[in-house]
Amino acid sequence: MVKKIAIRVLLLCLIILVSDMIYRVCFFTADFKNYSPQLFEIQNSSDSTDVYYFGESSNTSFVYEDSSYKSISALTAQHFPQLYFRNINKEATHAGIYLRWLEYLGKQNKLPKAVVVTMNLRSFNAAWVHSELENSLQEALVMGYPCLPVINRFLLALQAFSHKTMAESEQLTLKDWASEPLNLPDSGAFKSVKDWDAKMADGGYLNEDGTWNQKKIELACHYIKAYALNITPQNKRVQDFDNIQHWCAKNHVNLYLNLMAENVDYADSLVGKDLVFLMRRNRDFLVNRYNTGNCKVVDNLETVSGDLFIDQHWTTEHYKIKGRLRIANNLAKAISKDFETTVKN
Amino acid sequence: MLFNSLHFILFLPLVVIVYYLLAPKYRWLLIFFASCYFYMAFVPAYILILFFVILVDYFSGLAIERSKGRSRLLFLIGSLVANGLLLAFFKYFNFFNENLAALTNLLGGNFEGFKLSIVLPIGLSFHTFQSMSYTIEVYRGKQKAERHIGYFANYVLFFPQMVAGPIERYDRLGNALQKDQPLRYRNFAEGFRLILFGFFIKMVVADNIAPLVNLVYENPFEHTRFEVFSAVILFSFQIYADFFGYSTIALGSARLLGVTIMDNFNTPYLSKSITEFWNRWHISLSTWFKDYLYIPLGGNRVSWQRWCLNIMIVFMVSGLWHGASWTFVAWGALHGVMLVIERFTRHVIGTFETKRWLHPLLIIKTFFITSLIWIFFRAESFQKAKDIFKILIDGNPKGTNEAGIVVAAIAALAIITADVLLYGNRIDRVLGKQSAFVRWLVYGLLLFSVLALSGAKKFSFIYFQF
Repeated sequence: MVKKIAIRVLLLCLIILVSDMIYRVCFFTADFKNYSPQLFEIQNSSDSTDVYYFGESSNTSFVYEDSSYKSISALTAQHFPQLYFRNINKEATHAGIYLRWLEYLGKQNKLPKAVVVTMNLRSFNAAWVHSELENSLQEALVMGYPCLPVINRFLLALQAFSHKTMAESEQLTLKDWASEPLNLPDSGAFKSVKDWDAKMADGGYLNEDGTWNQKKIELACHYIKAYALNITPQNKRVQDFDNIQHWCAKNHVNLYLNLMAENVDYADSLVGKDLVFLMRRNRDFLVNRYNTGNCKVVDNLETVSGDLFIDQHWTTEHYKIKGRLRIANNLAKAISKDFETTVKN
Repeated sequence: MLFNSLHFILFLPLVVIVYYLLAPKYRWLLIFFASCYFYMAFVPAYILILFFVILVDYFSGLAIERSKGRSRLLFLIGSLVANGLLLAFFKYFNFFNENLAALTNLLGGNFEGFKLSIVLPIGLSFHTFQSMSYTIEVYRGKQKAERHIGYFANYVLFFPQMVAGPIERYDRLGNALQKDQPLRYRNFAEGFRLILFGFFIKMVVADNIAPLVNLVYENPFEHTRFEVFSAVILFSFQIYADFFGYSTIALGSARLLGVTIMDNFNTPYLSKSITEFWNRWHISLSTWFKDYLYIPLGGNRVSWQRWCLNIMIVFMVSGLWHGASWTFVAWGALHGVMLVIERFTRHVIGTFETKRWLHPLLIIKTFFITSLIWIFFRAESFQKAKDIFKILIDGNPKGTNEAGIVVAAIAALAIITADVLLYGNRIDRVLGKQSAFVRWLVYGLLLFSVLALSGAKKFSFIYFQF
């Protein structure tokens, strides 16, 4: 019976191989483009691409009144007519996903001269690390797994990737908010996000008539949840950025970590100096950690003034055209230094 | 654990291999732990609910058997009440409170009710009903009480059918699980065929229809009459493919372990009447209600008025069994009404049924009626159901055709074809009679479809929520 079963298992393997051949010819391209558009773009990008810009919504957001709707990557590329830029974008993406894109680039043997990777301060916080949006990010990677394409398609149908339910995501976030110490210099101040959030909710803003200004309290609490964190080497995103840096060093690719601007003005006026202190301390940590070798951190944290943010009542890295231009100019300056050197060589 | 998950695809072969490697006397332990593991992949703590059901009904069975007279009945009632309370608490508590609050407010009172924020244990209605059937059968003297608590636990927990049936009886499943199942090639072949076909039905048919149906039911007014009509029709195929697919995988998984469980479907959409439909749809639940509710109420050996009442009670309870919402009750009630109508028009329908050339028309008629009644099952509220009917009747000039009907229609066509080909039979038996070439051609087509053409979004089995 074992022989009988073994023969049938072999036949099934043969069917899978034939299925894969048919799938590659008939369906793969459409599915790849549809379900993993970023990987599809990488696969189909020109071999002569010099610079890849990996970004999220901060790169492409604009308002109707903007004099130009160009993205940060496009505005940066304008400075380098001799370089071929390619923008790979997906909302809510973070370093863990950028790392997968880089690895996929490596597999395609499409090593560029430089890679710009968006570094978003909020992407280090618990809410983003444990976000439910992670499911869609992971889903977009499945078609690029190192298996037969037809098996990848099946894994996609099975949703065979790390998956979090909304409840799990919330539970993990709440746990981190309660347990991760903020280490503010004033030891009597807020111990954790949970502690700070509760105190803001209890003693936040009053209206003139003595009632609570609920909207302002909610926004302040949101700012605390977004920026009140103490980035350490144990942070998941730091580990991802470490790997990105390592990958770029190994492959001799220049790396620019484009630290996005945050609405520091509003964080200060809404929550206060403690929050700004944490934002700056985290920025310093990242700059000091990654500004080495072939990696540069382009520090835009306080580059964009509060009025140039599109969302005035929420924490996003969406900028009006002037904001995007400032960031693009900063980035271009950083890139130009290296490319002058490269040209000289 | 969902059947359509990588987790299950790895779990099942492992269990099967270990099962046949183990000495028969230890196999019940493997089934027990594998089933616990399977169930705990959802909400681990809820395994305690199952243990509660097992303990209550195991000891009730023993007590009923050892008692005489009224105390037998008291033990049975104790078991039924315990199971009923469990269901009432987890499934109907919020529903009861919402209705109590609405009624109080209607009478001028002010009661907001209590809302429990708990996840409904998956398949609770299935395993409580299965377990209750055991104590009832022991009470009736048709089943001996099980002495071995492990065997009884496996009857309630058996992972292939624990969360969405078929709702098995102890004399079939309980006894089959105790038998020394020898390693037989035939079990593997049949199990494989059933599982492959089940995956095809679930992942290729149901999961390709689901996006269109969801899109339309979420915002019916964004769609044209044609799209809404298509969604109504396609939902009939989606729910069938979803549940039939699950049941077929369950059948196949059990078969791999040498256990035969009952068929839950028999080409229901080829029924010529609603009465016939209920003999072919979710057969294990229909027979449960027939044996434990309809017949105790008097069945059809009563006056016609009482019979009508019995039918309405059975179908409304069946509706409520599906979900804690009045839309489910309405769905059940409409089926009850249709059965009553059929009984009183049977002299006409009976004439039609004798003429074979009229059968296709009768089948289409039955299908449309069930499809329209499914609207209440699928809609989240009466308002949504009303919106759907409004668009079906009045049309919707603002709607757009964007839901992508073609893929869903092709998927539906696949299951219609399968049903016509398999009429009155089952895939494993039909394939078993074919030549090796035809068999492997069908395997190839099914496997290719499952691998390459499954819906890209995974949808949980609809009946898991019940």
